[in-house]
Amino acid sequence: MTSKERVLSIFANKDADRMACFSGMGSVLTASLDEYGYKFPTVHGDAVKMANTAAFTYKATGMESVIVPYDMCVDAEALGCVMNAYENVNQLLYPTIKEKIIHNEEEMTTIAIPDKIWERGRYPVVTEALSLLKKDVGNEVPVVAWLLGPFTMAGQLMDLNDLFKLVFKKPDLVNGMLSVLTDLIITMAAKYREAGADIICIREMGATTDVLSPRNFKQVIDPHLGRIFANIGSPNFLHICGSTNIVMKNMQASGADALSVEIKNNLAKSREDIGYEPLLFGNIDAYSVLVLGTPEVVEKATIEAMEGSVDSVLPSCDIWPEAPVANVKAMVDTVKQYGAEKWARKNK
Amino acid sequence: MTPEREQELLKALADGVVNFEEEAVVATVNTALEEGIDPHKAVFDGLVVGMQECGRLYEEQEYFVPELLMCADAMYAGLGILRPLLKGDESKSRVKGQVVMGVVQGDVHDIGKNIVKMMFDAAGFTVHDLGRDVPLENFVEEQLKTESEIVALSAMMTTTMVGMKDIIKQIKEKNPKAKIMIGGAPVTEEIANKWGADGYAPNASNALQDAINMVASLKDI
Repeated sequence: MTSKERVLSIFANKDADRMACFSGMGSVLTASLDEYGYKFPTVHGDAVKMANTAAFTYKATGMESVIVPYDMCVDAEALGCVMNAYENVNQLLYPTIKEKIIHNEEEMTTIAIPDKIWERGRYPVVTEALSLLKKDVGNEVPVVAWLLGPFTMAGQLMDLNDLFKLVFKKPDLVNGMLSVLTDLIITMAAKYREAGADIICIREMGATTDVLSPRNFKQVIDPHLGRIFANIGSPNFLHICGSTNIVMKNMQASGADALSVEIKNNLAKSREDIGYEPLLFGNIDAYSVLVLGTPEVVEKATIEAMEGSVDSVLPSCDIWPEAPVANVKAMVDTVKQYGAEKWARKNK
Repeated sequence: MTPEREQELLKALADGVVNFEEEAVVATVNTALEEGIDPHKAVFDGLVVGMQECGRLYEEQEYFVPELLMCADAMYAGLGILRPLLKGDESKSRVKGQVVMGVVQGDVHDIGKNIVKMMFDAAGFTVHDLGRDVPLENFVEEQLKTESEIVALSAMMTTTMVGMKDIIKQIKEKNPKAKIMIGGAPVTEEIANKWGADGYAPNASNALQDAINMVASLKDI
């Protein structure tokens, strides 16, 4: 069974020879930047560099997916925001938005998706990278593309303080804007699939319950996630990092094919809430374990996640690129070794 | 003013913050001042008590970030009137300390930092706020320039917190006495220890309490 067949089977019928070890979040490693002689800030705007570095993680560690893009500014940039890639900074930094496009409530109501949005900003870079990955390794591993959820995306377009307060004060205004962004996400998911993505991951990290209450989640997150997952085709999954236990039922109700959570999620508690039927992925700490740990520490954490009832092992977040190849490989190898015997679904 | 009336007003201030009623807080502050309340009491036994209650509600997952932001607005509305009246009366301020605060470069999420800042403001610290997306060397420079006892670093994402490691190292090299606190969603106690931070705070009320303890310990020495 190839990694591609395995991962797609898990999504399609919740069955395979073993669980898989893949991701829907950025998994670029500095080892690939060294290998190719790329500077990190230049990778985000260059389809060849993006595809090469994405494929490297699979080739060097056996991780069972290739994933683009890496940064969270792609959508905002296509909508007109200005991005900072930190080209003159020595340390490793992901791009951020330095100029937002929504400055007041009025602009929240007038935001519109430009025609042929997929030709704007770096969307063409991402779609080209997806096509390159499809050609390069698309028969062996699933190609994964991710998009921000509408609430997190809104936080890239406008001041977060204002957004959070308006969630409380004017939820209808917020929902109107999120609905427009939901249309964009549905459009781009289709474009990404057309370009070669096998799986779409929606990341709504702005809605973690470290930040937003379950009541607000129900008001301004639920409706849009429901519409997204009804319209982006399968396979797909929803990833929310941070604390998520008290919204697991909402996440399940989104209609996503699978749910992915991070280390702050108590897996046993999640299973109490959603049962053992839904696919649940997680939850290897992408920094403390994968970067700071040794291969032994990684193995132990991976076994814990498997014994905690995940259906596939995924990092909690974007892998911090400085993670040693040996650590990521240890995560993958541990899943290869124990991924059948420790798969709760198979052993009930 | 009778003690009963004073208690009633202080409670109204605290409740106004907890229930994020900006206008009610302003009205109560004005009434209380007309009736001769001690501005220090109004701040520390009224507004700050309300903010502490908000911190507690946050820990209990009753309140979340939007609620805290609105509480903060209510508190600042009151503080805006009261703070000018506190000046020149330092003997009564309960904590004296300076803190350099900011969100590390690569991270533009400053809500957490702003909430912590507010707690420090309210408690009487002098806060040197560097804002967000702050280059590493600025923290080091600002600490040396202001001789602040504490440097508080914030990061919201796993992908941005790693920069803290170098700031801690550089500050400790230049001024081993400076105390460094780190916080933000992805930060854990384990990481704080590993990087040599003096304090780790999972939320704003813990951050304030830690800072007060740190300054107290420095003054004891």
